[in-house]
Amino acid sequence: MNIEPYTEDQTDALQEVANIAMGQAGDSLARILDNFVTLSVPRIRQIAAQELVDTVIAMVGDEDEVSAVRQAFYNSLRGEAIVIFTQSGADELAELLGYDCELDDNIEQELLLEIGNLLVGAILNGISETLGTELGFSAPSLMAEHSPLRQVLTANRLSWQHALLLEVNFSVERHRFKSHLLMFMTGETIETLRDILDDFMDEF
Amino acid sequence: MPDDKTPNLLDFIVDRTHAGIFVVDRDMQVVLWNQFMEMHSGRKAEELLGKNLFDEFPELPRKWLTRKVKNVFILKNFSFTSWEQRPYLFRFPHNRPVTGGVDCMRQDCTLMPVKNTAGEVEYVCFTLFDVTDTSIYQQQLQALTRELREVSNRDGLTRLYNRRYIEETLCREFKRARRHAQPLTVVLSDIDHFKQVNDFHGHLAGDEVLRVVSHRLLDSLRDTDILGRYGGEEFLIVLPNTGIEGGKVLGERLRQAIESEPVNIDDTRLEVHISLGITELREDSFDYEQLIGEADQALYRAKEAGRNRAMVYAPSAPQRLTEP
Repeated sequence: MNIEPYTEDQTDALQEVANIAMGQAGDSLARILDNFVTLSVPRIRQIAAQELVDTVIAMVGDEDEVSAVRQAFYNSLRGEAIVIFTQSGADELAELLGYDCELDDNIEQELLLEIGNLLVGAILNGISETLGTELGFSAPSLMAEHSPLRQVLTANRLSWQHALLLEVNFSVERHRFKSHLLMFMTGETIETLRDILDDFMDEF
Repeated sequence: MPDDKTPNLLDFIVDRTHAGIFVVDRDMQVVLWNQFMEMHSGRKAEELLGKNLFDEFPELPRKWLTRKVKNVFILKNFSFTSWEQRPYLFRFPHNRPVTGGVDCMRQDCTLMPVKNTAGEVEYVCFTLFDVTDTSIYQQQLQALTRELREVSNRDGLTRLYNRRYIEETLCREFKRARRHAQPLTVVLSDIDHFKQVNDFHGHLAGDEVLRVVSHRLLDSLRDTDILGRYGGEEFLIVLPNTGIEGGKVLGERLRQAIESEPVNIDDTRLEVHISLGITELREDSFDYEQLIGEADQALYRAKEAGRNRAMVYAPSAPQRLTEP
């Protein structure tokens, strides 16, 4: 399917929406984690399938060891969010989420899934609420643990030609923890979003 | 259309559906408890409505669950648990014959924010799915995969790790030791005059010697040490978190384990010895192959010096110029 790139106005509107969403998401996350959180200014790119690996590596870094969680969203917008953890002491995550038990492999995985779900929920709900629409979410699942980022990205068979990529990175004050959220939307959703953005702009 | 006799369709479905559905408010008081929950918990809705969930089910992980529910109220977003990380929320008996390893129902849970018209979250609704069957299949699959992996990583005769796998392991340990600035020692060992065992006593005897030596080496190593069959009569041993002194002590222990007791083949008692070459990771070590090369050099010197001994790699000692 041939996707027309967004106009400058549409791209600006999307950036605006994303920025507003990050503000809201940051507030909710700070309440949950009881710590000051930093969400970066979202980077938005329209990419072709073959540009995926290089684009993400440029944004996140050519990391040797990452863990990753994926979660699908659907309804007006369909796509997948991937949360990449570049540095995540499990002990830090446990402390952030109020786990006070012994850490084992299962608990570590649960921590990744939980933070992933919180991030995806906060950020994607921020975006959908700003756009005046609602999203549903699937359960998150573990994509990779302690694997090179390149391997995580290329392992997946991609069935799309073009995607809209939104990237945000997330850190918590006084913690080493760092993660990136990548939101992918393809094909029809890019078109749907275009219409939603046009409506959004009409309101202002 | 519903009338006096026809039940409200949604209520009926929520109550009777094949999944546990229960709802709590901000204070963790039970507001809804469907039939699935009644039947599996043995507690009726009328006993539980208005009561605190933790008071009624004290075995629930209180701190974790309170926090998880609170997050749904704050974030107004779905939350999930999976049997793979957390086998169950409630300890319910499961309904299928046990094929092994599953003592109670495995559950996936979804937590859903229930919003009022003002958009605020009033309740959290739990949906609890019985995924016991899936979990059993998954575990069977994983057990099979583990077996398959073991078979592909092991040498058939000695049951030790094969060459490919022990090299991969050393490569991994090398990187890890580098990353965490930890010591690492490598030992290369082979059976002295092994060719003669095969020539005089036959290949079956040779096989038995290999098996016995492998077994004794394994017995003498620590849990964290990794042993592999590197060649016909050669063994590669990786000692994580061990420096050269530790390597020397272990090397001597291994040598003695083989020398102290002959190998019995039918009526023959065969004297068997091994030679060993030992080296450790240094700042200037380039890669794991270099360590194997150094251990090999040290092994060669042990042979030259009369066999049945361990030698430590010394950069200044005369090196072997050609491959054996």
